[in-house]
Amino acid sequence: SGELYCSLPNPRNVHFESTNMKNVLHWSAPEGTGDGVLYKVKYAVYGVGKWIRKAECRNINRTWCDLSSETSDYEEQYYASVKAFLNGTCSDWMETTRFNPLTDTKIDPPMVSISSTDRSISITLTAPEKWKRSPEEESISLLQVYPGLQYNVSVLNKKTKKRWFFSISNNTLVVPWLEPGTAYCVSARIRVTTPLLDSGFSK
Amino acid sequence: GACRVSMSTEEIRAGFRAIKANIQSRDPIRSLSILSHPHSLHKVQSSDRCCITHQLFTFYVDKVFKHCRTEDSFVNRKISSIANSFLSVRRKLEQCREQNNCVCGEESTEKFKQILANYEGLNVTSAAMKSLGELDILLDWMEKSR
Amino acid sequence: GDALLPAPQSVSILSTNMKHFLTWSPVIVQGATVRYSVEFQGEYEREHANGSWIPISECSLTTATLCNLTEDISASVSYQLRVRAQLGATSSAWATTRGFFSRAMTSLTPPQLRVLAEGQHVLVELADMGPSFQFRVLYWKKGQESRVQQKVVKEVSSTVHLDTVEAGAEYCVKAQTHVEAINRSSSFSPTQCVRTQGDTSVWL
Repeated sequence: SGELYCSLPNPRNVHFESTNMKNVLHWSAPEGTGDGVLYKVKYAVYGVGKWIRKAECRNINRTWCDLSSETSDYEEQYYASVKAFLNGTCSDWMETTRFNPLTDTKIDPPMVSISSTDRSISITLTAPEKWKRSPEEESISLLQVYPGLQYNVSVLNKKTKKRWFFSISNNTLVVPWLEPGTAYCVSARIRVTTPLLDSGFSK
Repeated sequence: GACRVSMSTEEIRAGFRAIKANIQSRDPIRSLSILSHPHSLHKVQSSDRCCITHQLFTFYVDKVFKHCRTEDSFVNRKISSIANSFLSVRRKLEQCREQNNCVCGEESTEKFKQILANYEGLNVTSAAMKSLGELDILLDWMEKSR
Repeated sequence: GDALLPAPQSVSILSTNMKHFLTWSPVIVQGATVRYSVEFQGEYEREHANGSWIPISECSLTTATLCNLTEDISASVSYQLRVRAQLGATSSAWATTRGFFSRAMTSLTPPQLRVLAEGQHVLVELADMGPSFQFRVLYWKKGQESRVQQKVVKEVSSTVHLDTVEAGAEYCVKAQTHVEAINRSSSFSPTQCVRTQGDTSVWL
């Protein structure tokens, strides 16, 4: 279909928001437009450049579009673009900056499971998994994606309010000879030094 | 024997991260890549890794950085930091080559020819700026294949 | 012209714990404020970029006689620095550092270390010295100097758990910094010993 005369203001702040390589395109509505704006989305692989329309995000009224499936190969980099339509007119295509799933994603904190005896606690950490299309698909731990991944573990003695830090590469930690009858709070985060990626601390 | 080079990509990464948006915004050509298309670095065999790495570091030192001068003093200082880090790493890779631990096979020669062809397919400033903007492609590949 | 304004003297680099500074003596001109500009040249610029010099914007037209080079001297190659005085439209000649500076020449001081014992746990607090630094911590049971154990600490966020040890025993700890980028270490900190609590009674 021929392009309409495009005088509509452009979508704003078109960018990827990514966590554990679940890569979702977000944008803000064009300035001064109320309801009724619809959008189209397309994406391209850097170095190939051919724009590909995202069918599930054609004529949508929401301001996000999940492109995780299309950007799941983290050895590639991507661009995405959005166009707005309203009352027979349209905006320009507005592009993201180049998106690198490997360095531009955020990482969730690890899952922390704890067991304890009267004088020790055993902590097991599980790194989050890379986003996958369906539960049946094979899981890939972010540990496989980022070989240099480490865990920082914090152990807080609730009585003395003192906090100890541990830095470990494997995913288990045993802290023996603790004070009996004392509550300890454990939280952990993931640290990747290169590319530099830090998760927040787990709850 | 293998070529073991102790190098920290963290400093190069930090320098690149500081100027990535600026440099990549100067490269409007989405449909061409110097390093990753048509053949990806990730397909290089491990035996050829050292040679490709040395060729690429030489490529950046000899051809790329000198054509990346910008009007932005901060960007120029970060490019200098990256360029001098590349020089330091290349020196270590050269020692590997001298000890014959960095043999160039047919595949790496072919791959590097492709990279040069991609580079020479553009005018020198665009090619240099595009190559600089693809540093994370090189670093991702180097770290993944450690 | 330029010749009227003397070039700065006593230009030298002070470098401690991977923090590098250029210093020089002030150029005195009665009743006037002299400013200075600093530029650097790495080995890359010398050998591959026609000997070009790169200005450090934070030290351009500064009245200070000190310039922080740390952000720019960030590769393991040799650098040269130069500074000149400026007064209005007049500039002095450049004063260039004699010889080359490499960050491997930095002086490394022992880390500030504080050792604690809580129950049977030995803990250390290390002052953060920046991203280039790791800490090699040695510890041993007093009297068993031959059985020294080691831990490399990269994260110095507050209290780091060193080890869980015997109850009621005295343990000694010392540490040195290590900078991987230049593959050098500091001398060791003074040794500190702590006694762990906890009962030493034996089940019969």
